[in-house]
Amino acid sequence: MNIVVLVKQVPDSGAERNLRTDDNTVDRGSASNVINEMDEYAIEEALRIQEAHGGEVTILTMGPSGAAESIRKALSMGPDKAVHVVDDALHGSCALATSKVLAAALGTLNADLVLCGAESTDGRVQVLPHMLAERLGVAALTGARKLTIDGSALTIERQTDEGYEVVTAQTPAVVSVWDTINEPRYPSFKGIMAAKKKPVQALSLGDLGVAPSEVGLDGASSAVVEHSKRPPRSGGQKVTDEGEGGVKLVEFLATEKFV
Amino acid sequence: MKLTLSDEQARFGATLHDLLDAADVPAASRAWAAGDAVPGCAVWRRLADAGVTALAVPEKWGGLEASPADLVVACEELGHHALPGPAMETVAAVPALLAALGGAAAERWLPALASGEALATLAAPPWLPYAVDADTAGVSLLAARPAGAADLLASGSPTAAARLPGATGATGAIVARPARAAVGVWVGVVGEAVASVDPTRRLFELGPGEMLADDAGGAVGRALDLGALACAAHLLGAGRAMLETAVEYAKQRVQFGQPIGRFQAIKHALADVAVGLEFARPLLYAAAVTLTPRDVSAAKVACASAAHRAARAALQVHGAIGYTEEYGLGRWLTRVRALMAAWGTSSDHRARVLATLTAQAEPWS
Repeated sequence: MNIVVLVKQVPDSGAERNLRTDDNTVDRGSASNVINEMDEYAIEEALRIQEAHGGEVTILTMGPSGAAESIRKALSMGPDKAVHVVDDALHGSCALATSKVLAAALGTLNADLVLCGAESTDGRVQVLPHMLAERLGVAALTGARKLTIDGSALTIERQTDEGYEVVTAQTPAVVSVWDTINEPRYPSFKGIMAAKKKPVQALSLGDLGVAPSEVGLDGASSAVVEHSKRPPRSGGQKVTDEGEGGVKLVEFLATEKFV
Repeated sequence: MKLTLSDEQARFGATLHDLLDAADVPAASRAWAAGDAVPGCAVWRRLADAGVTALAVPEKWGGLEASPADLVVACEELGHHALPGPAMETVAAVPALLAALGGAAAERWLPALASGEALATLAAPPWLPYAVDADTAGVSLLAARPAGAADLLASGSPTAAARLPGATGATGAIVARPARAAVGVWVGVVGEAVASVDPTRRLFELGPGEMLADDAGGAVGRALDLGALACAAHLLGAGRAMLETAVEYAKQRVQFGQPIGRFQAIKHALADVAVGLEFARPLLYAAAVTLTPRDVSAAKVACASAAHRAARAALQVHGAIGYTEEYGLGRWLTRVRALMAAWGTSSDHRARVLATLTAQAEPWS
């Protein structure tokens, strides 16, 4: 089975993250950039499928040249090769444009299965897998906490707030996964050393036949008009217990509609 | 000579840091000190999956045959997290010794060491009078001169000395042997437990069992050098951990109206620690490249001294909380104290540097 895993490089959600003041895009220059956490679960799932059913695992990343570091890290977990869509004109692309570019790149890869994280920790819109499936004309199985494969039949348990839904489809398909699906492996010494020699193909917009006007800030279907920093946390409200602290706590919870 | 890490080596170190960060090493350490090795061995199995235990094992026995520089990267991270278990023995010295002995001994244990099925420990007086965690290790080796009974006696282990081949049987008697008796290697028979300043280092006397080699001085010397190199890396990692902890604490702890890290006395103490660690690092990397006894000894002395300075400064910066068991700084404090004396004391190593500088050939003991 030919599997492509979409991997996005994002600012580390554990560190301070900022938007740029000039164009309101994510400030990648000052951030510590890492693989989007949810994508690591997608890589792990792809490797497990490869171990069980054979085939090839390819990493597909769209991002600036600095994303090459995340691609090497992803390859050190075990995938066979990577494709890096890198073009200055992509800066500031919206989800719609991103799906267009990724669909064009996937057109060159002949994938049976496209795996990705259910959301990115910077954008958090969860919409890309759907857009991609629509553009590719294949099924979208999203938000999986479990994926089983029987020949060309795919079955997922889609995680919801109340429980899960069982959704089935045939390959080719796009499957997005949550962090409940598996436990990603740590790259081994062998994997890290081998990743150095794995092929990484760089593709520009020209290679994909996508016009620069369709992507980037100018081609974006949505725009961030302005942004401001989150206000610092206020001191909060202190309840001194003089025999009726419990009552006051319940009153507070009631005003916040927690009880 | 290349003294900087490659991108891959840096990534390997960062990966091990992530792995150990997620593995709850403090809880494993507490259990280990209390005699329960199960959580600690689980961490070791994850390290084995990452390839750590196979680094020094030749490929023909299922290992990775990695460079000593790769080994140093891994060992620094083990020290950075003060992992319990016979680290220097398992990942460096014992694989090197078994690979050098070759034959049946290598066949018997190296595949299990590479895959992480077994931990290994070693006693080699006078550098290593006792074997760490011999009750948990699947492989315990003893390397000594038969006349080394005298060394064992000097280190306070008359019972082990009495069991050495050539011992007269009378406990406490110093065995009369030619001074230059060849270094032998035996399967160790686990003897009595001995207390260590570091409760996670469970020390045991080892007596000789089955003999593996009767003249292996060169192999033992090289294995001990690799172990001392791993120990230096471990110390450097421990020093770095204490610097990080102390810097973090100095930024949080407020006294006299400001974080204590704003006071010059604290700043200078921590800066001295940082300089010491960074100046020890090139010596460590150089020793990993050359593996000469002189460079290994220089690295051990420099890393031990830098780690010791880090321990003293970290304890002082923390004040009384640094002494508490709950805070956890003690895991590194006691580890550093113990490792300063293990794998050759700083005096041993300074003497060895002097000996090579003055061109007097000096074997490992």
